[in-house]
Amino acid sequence: MEKIASLIIIIGTFLWLFSILALGGRWQWQMLSALVLIVGIFTAHFWEELRDTDSDEEKD
Amino acid sequence: MARERVTQADEWQAWAQRYDMEGGIRTFESGLTVKVFIGALFVGLLMMPGSIYLSYVSGQSGAGAAPWVAVILFTELARRSFTTARRQELYMLLGLTGAAVGSGLQYRNFIWYAYFINTPQAASYEIADKIPDWIVPAGDSVGVLTRSLLHPDWLLPIGVYLAGKLLGTLRFVSGQYILFRLTADLERLPYPMAPISAQGATALAETTGKEETWRWRIFSIGSMAGLIWGFLYIGVPSLTGVMMSQPIQILKIPWIDFTQSIEGFAPTGVFALHTDFGQMLFGFVLPFPVVMTEFIASMATQFILNPHILYRFEILHQWKPGLDVRGVGLYNGLDFWMSGNMGKSFSFAVVGMAASVPMIFKMRRTKKTAGERGTFAPPPNRGDFPIWLMGLMWFIGMGGFVWLIHWMVPNFPLSFLLGFAFLYTPLNSYITARTFGVLGRDLFEIPYLHEITFILSRYEEIDIWFAPFPDEDYGRGTQSWRVLELTGTTFTSNLAGTLLIMPILIVSGIVVLHFIWKIAPIPSAQYPYAQMMWPINATNECLMKTSLRDGNSEMLQALRGDYVAAGFTGSIAIYGMLWVFKMPSMWFYGIIGGIGADPGSMVARLLGAIIGRFYMIKRFGMKRWYMFNPVLAAGFACGVGLIGMGTVAIALVSKAVIVKPF
Repeated sequence: MEKIASLIIIIGTFLWLFSILALGGRWQWQMLSALVLIVGIFTAHFWEELRDTDSDEEKD
Repeated sequence: MARERVTQADEWQAWAQRYDMEGGIRTFESGLTVKVFIGALFVGLLMMPGSIYLSYVSGQSGAGAAPWVAVILFTELARRSFTTARRQELYMLLGLTGAAVGSGLQYRNFIWYAYFINTPQAASYEIADKIPDWIVPAGDSVGVLTRSLLHPDWLLPIGVYLAGKLLGTLRFVSGQYILFRLTADLERLPYPMAPISAQGATALAETTGKEETWRWRIFSIGSMAGLIWGFLYIGVPSLTGVMMSQPIQILKIPWIDFTQSIEGFAPTGVFALHTDFGQMLFGFVLPFPVVMTEFIASMATQFILNPHILYRFEILHQWKPGLDVRGVGLYNGLDFWMSGNMGKSFSFAVVGMAASVPMIFKMRRTKKTAGERGTFAPPPNRGDFPIWLMGLMWFIGMGGFVWLIHWMVPNFPLSFLLGFAFLYTPLNSYITARTFGVLGRDLFEIPYLHEITFILSRYEEIDIWFAPFPDEDYGRGTQSWRVLELTGTTFTSNLAGTLLIMPILIVSGIVVLHFIWKIAPIPSAQYPYAQMMWPINATNECLMKTSLRDGNSEMLQALRGDYVAAGFTGSIAIYGMLWVFKMPSMWFYGIIGGIGADPGSMVARLLGAIIGRFYMIKRFGMKRWYMFNPVLAAGFACGVGLIGMGTVAIALVSKAVIVKPF
């Protein structure tokens, strides 16, 4: 999951840079990249917080 | 070697633990005694005039020092009387004195609007004649022209303010208490930053015991440093201002502007060295990564991003050579940074959500196994109140507040007021209470909320900009209830003290501010900070208050969707990449705080952070240094405050004598 989150974030960042450099910085494209980034960041934090709980429950 | 990943919650908790040297106590006693009440009132009222004066001279009220002075006097009296001062008494004394000293500044808006209504800016933006009479009397009224707050012209503005204050007390006490019960009692959130506030009272309570501790020594060192600095920075200008028309400033207040010196190689960049080196103490206390990244990001903005990217691509297009820091800041703001900063602020909300929503999920899951949370029962003898009573108080306070606003702006849609009062405020407060409970700080803020609301409401009158709005946040205040709990102070005694001192402060605050205003116009040469900042603040206020007029204002034009999107997406991209490369999340707050800011305003903090990190920690060790930090900072604030109060007293007496006709 960590790698998937990282991949989504990297894609979002490159999409944003592309929207600035090649698409004239139009807000619609920027917000699309923001959406991708938000999905990546939420995935990252859910994985971060819930991984220990899962492993604790498995131990019990 | 691969870097180990640390969760944001663990990272923040680890930082909080550095400051948390003592566990909380669970035996509760009243902190309110007659000697505490009289002591707070005496010191508070003695220092209030100085605090008001300082805020106009240097931009800082020095109100932070006054409670410490009261506590030091109190502990010294206790020692001389061979008795001891309790931690609860000292914490109560801190709170009450703080309220007393700050009571004059609560009316500062009256002085501001009395100035604003007669400014050329207000006239040229055509709002001077539209400022409501419940904010300030007319610009040509006797109360404004003779600089007298005690004139009947001020009856309506002061009456409206007092009604709002009464209702506000009802709302804030009850709202904070209910949220505290929810987050601290029911959900058992840790409130990691609360012990820091509790430590100050402990430091001085210990001095009344048989043995002197290190705390007193550190406090004294900080006080001496503060006295010396305060004399140079505040004392000399204040005292020379008494004798000369232009006061002598050893270090120019508030900054030395290098903006024109750098414009050759960094056009559109700003650099104004802020001369308040007391900020070094904040650099000692603040986390080093935040201070460092903030400075680097601000340097990169002013020397690379602004001149070589935004200016080159004509995004910053209004700049012209020869402008000072205020001019460049204003044009840069209109061209890009007003929008960019708005986007940046939104990113804080998203990042805060992303960090806290999974935490809530985690807490729900761990609750099932641990079974430690989920009870509303308070600890015995804490002095709790019935929840229903607090709920009723909140409804009365909020209902009355909405009615008051509706009376002020009768044509503004009531549905917006009700929505903010009964939906947005509880939700916003609960989220903030949670973030304070877990992270010890606020992460949620919706920027330009009022502006967005006014656009959606299609309300075009200017009076709504002067009215209060029921978008409140009680979450921040829940931490103070936790501090009361940690110091073992009963809630009832704290509430009783607050309510008892309030009527006295309401009256004395008006009288003192009236006197200060009466002896010299504000702003004038005697008040360098106000003279420097108020004209630019007036322009900004005009821009803000006319931003929605005819849908064609300078500010509305300055807000561009693509720039807001750039600020927002760029910020969350930075956050994301920091996560990918396993960098501390604190860097994000530093970087985003620094982007667009003036590096000159951070030099003193940076110096403090570097000295702390590379000298003090090595000299004293991490644990001891973090124990010393808050006490040293308190001592310094106390020293500066004492000098400020002393010089201000001399200046006030002198000016009072000079203006007397006989």
